[in-house]
Amino acid sequence: MIRYISARLLATVPVVFGVTIAVFSMLYLIPGDPVKMMLSEFQTSPEQIARMRAQLHLNDPFLVQYGRFVWNGLHGNLGSSIRDNRPVTQEIFEVLPQTAQLAVAALALSSVVGVTLGIVAALRQNSWMDVGAMMVATFGISMPNFWLGLILILLFSLRLEWLPAAGGGDLAHLVMPTLALGLGAAAIVARLTRSNMLDVLRMEYVNTARAKGLGGGTVVMRHALLNALIPVITIFGLQFGALLAGTVFIETVFGRPGLGRLAVDAIQNKDFPLVQGCVLVFALGYVFVNLLVDLAYAVIDPRIRYG
Amino acid sequence: MRVARRAGWGAALLFLATAVAGVGIVTAAPSGGVTLTVGLDQEPPTLDPEASPSAVTYQIIPDVTESLLYQGLDGKIVPWLAAAYKVSPDGKSFTFTLRSDAKFTDGTPVDAEAVKWNFDRVVNPNYRAGSALAALSGYAGSTVVDDHTVRVDFKAPFAPFLSYTAAGTLALVSPKATQAQGNDVNLKPVGSGQYVVSEYVLKDHIILTRNADYNRRPPWSDHQGPAYVNTIVWKFIPEAGTRVTTVESGETQMISGLSIPSATLAHMATEKTLRIERYPYPGAPRIWLLNVKMAPTNDLKVRQAINYAVNRPAIVDSIFKGLGTPACAPLTLQTLADKALCNVYPYDPKKAAQLLDEDGWRMGPNDIREKDGKPLTLTINSINYGSGNLPEIELLQGQLLAIGIDARIKSQARPPWYEDNYHCATNGPVMFLRSTDPDGLFALFSSVNVGSNFNWSCYASPDMDKLLQQGRETYDPAKRRAIYDQIEKILVDQAVSVPLVDEFSVWIVRSNITGTKYNFSGYPVLTDVKIGK
Repeated sequence: MIRYISARLLATVPVVFGVTIAVFSMLYLIPGDPVKMMLSEFQTSPEQIARMRAQLHLNDPFLVQYGRFVWNGLHGNLGSSIRDNRPVTQEIFEVLPQTAQLAVAALALSSVVGVTLGIVAALRQNSWMDVGAMMVATFGISMPNFWLGLILILLFSLRLEWLPAAGGGDLAHLVMPTLALGLGAAAIVARLTRSNMLDVLRMEYVNTARAKGLGGGTVVMRHALLNALIPVITIFGLQFGALLAGTVFIETVFGRPGLGRLAVDAIQNKDFPLVQGCVLVFALGYVFVNLLVDLAYAVIDPRIRYG
Repeated sequence: MRVARRAGWGAALLFLATAVAGVGIVTAAPSGGVTLTVGLDQEPPTLDPEASPSAVTYQIIPDVTESLLYQGLDGKIVPWLAAAYKVSPDGKSFTFTLRSDAKFTDGTPVDAEAVKWNFDRVVNPNYRAGSALAALSGYAGSTVVDDHTVRVDFKAPFAPFLSYTAAGTLALVSPKATQAQGNDVNLKPVGSGQYVVSEYVLKDHIILTRNADYNRRPPWSDHQGPAYVNTIVWKFIPEAGTRVTTVESGETQMISGLSIPSATLAHMATEKTLRIERYPYPGAPRIWLLNVKMAPTNDLKVRQAINYAVNRPAIVDSIFKGLGTPACAPLTLQTLADKALCNVYPYDPKKAAQLLDEDGWRMGPNDIREKDGKPLTLTINSINYGSGNLPEIELLQGQLLAIGIDARIKSQARPPWYEDNYHCATNGPVMFLRSTDPDGLFALFSSVNVGSNFNWSCYASPDMDKLLQQGRETYDPAKRRAIYDQIEKILVDQAVSVPLVDEFSVWIVRSNITGTKYNFSGYPVLTDVKIGK
């Protein structure tokens, strides 16, 4: 198990390395002079531009700059926001809990609703419940999350006046964004759970378990579901990336503070250090969740652990 | 199999139960009382009035920071922190006599030393000033005459300074607090106004709390002493549809009308619980600056033809209904009313076609004109805020196609959009410029601003430069007016731009809110607001 974990951990190193190169290169890949763009709305003298260039160490060779970026990053220093001069890490940590809360809530919703619908559909294959569950799932996949968000706002904020439409902070503000973000993912999980459950329920070992006289609950939960979940967990890892991307839209629609909004505004404001910081955190979050997924395989399937 | 099914249902219920628990219990939305919640379309880049290049800052800050002078909707400039002012005979020096009872909210006095410190701060090369820097063009320094008298000197006469001093860009912050708080001045600047910034949650909201010690009567106000409403919450709600919902449901009591579709605005105008308030923005209208250096807009006849071909009333009716009126010149009618200019380029596609014919542009294949085998194509630089082309530019494209001009849209994010403008790399951008003085034309058309902000027509004319400088140096209102009339006439005759829409500052307010006021810039001042039932 330890060997497996260390192998997975080591495998993330080149990925993280690649991410830092990609994030750092952003500054070079965009056309034009980054400093002039960052200061474009200000009336600046050539001296100020030169000073800014020196401040950002843009006169150094690429590799030296990259090395400094990684070294500072390892020490928790991602530079300062061009706009208000505050440390990038401070701005990110101010909004990160809100995004994490939303992403985790949406992931929880998608897994719980998705797995439930999948199980029901598989156990009652070809019944009206199966058809109904899959129709809901198809609907969920087809709806863009920002559209669903606006519909939820119209219903729950304007017509029923149950929930606040904009802002963040308390649980009431979390309900609609979670639904808007999580339902699409739930639909994918539901379809995948259903097809895997159907496969597994036809396996010999499930029949053997039943023949041994095990209770229906034990058969479904321990023997069928656990095996059916392995591909579903892979999807969780991938879905998390989609959910993070979705927060960019959802946070804008619901006026929620968060990393997505921070990144969008930073892009609009040409605040490169802040854009780099946001993209880096998004990417590292994605790598981390996929590492967790890899580790979850080992917990669920001993063959992976010992293989 | 039955057992397995029942167990499956059990598992399903268990999952659902967890889901419900995961979503959590719904709590009530925070509600009003003596709190006014205002929905804004975006977050300001900074709240420091002297550092901000953005209009968003000045929508929030008038309740927090104060300026030496005040300019109301009638355009009159009246004393505010300064009890009186005097301009020297040579027009280069301004002496302000400050009120003796004004204090910053950290308890320090608003004295001559503080004014000097603020203005020196703006021009300090180590400080990155925003719009404030242009408001102090040619600043030579300030002198403290006595505790309550300060003299501000310029290298040349600078008539627009009085209007700029009255705008939010030169609002004063406390020297003591600002030096102590470092970068936090961007979040919680300390001014002398009726509110204090008490909370700033990034990407979410700003809370202003009433300054109970305020004992003066500001020039616009109906009363002496503190503001009526205890707390003002500025919420950032970028999505227009969501913002509209919040004011309809009462979650906010007032919202900015920016980027709200005109059809939605028309619908809201019919709602009894809402009121729409509009004030014209001063400065340049929404305008297409025509690049006079690049073909084909380097040709006067092409530029004039474009001006005849653009149907401004149609643009207003279809996109800006309730948000503006057709523009006539590079300054809005509110800034410099010269209705005669509205008749220079009426919508006349026939005249446009005739001009192009005379110029040798004949109709070619695909209904695009040609001259010497070259098609009549041009590129409009369109800023893309993330939701695609600006709709008015698509309309322009269609209108130009009708007379045989193939207008292409270069839709791009803000950074490369600026870059192209600096390099005169397209046939010009569609943009706007807010300015409380006709001197805004200096930024748009002085040759010193080619390759910088904002001479994106890339227009360089020594005669124009001379007139723009004269405008800056002339105090006599009638003479000044004559200079800017002359400037506008040249700019319109030379067709260096296509003025499109004189825009309004639009706010949607719930009917139970009274006392909203607006300054000359069109930004709300909320100190007299009362919340009824």
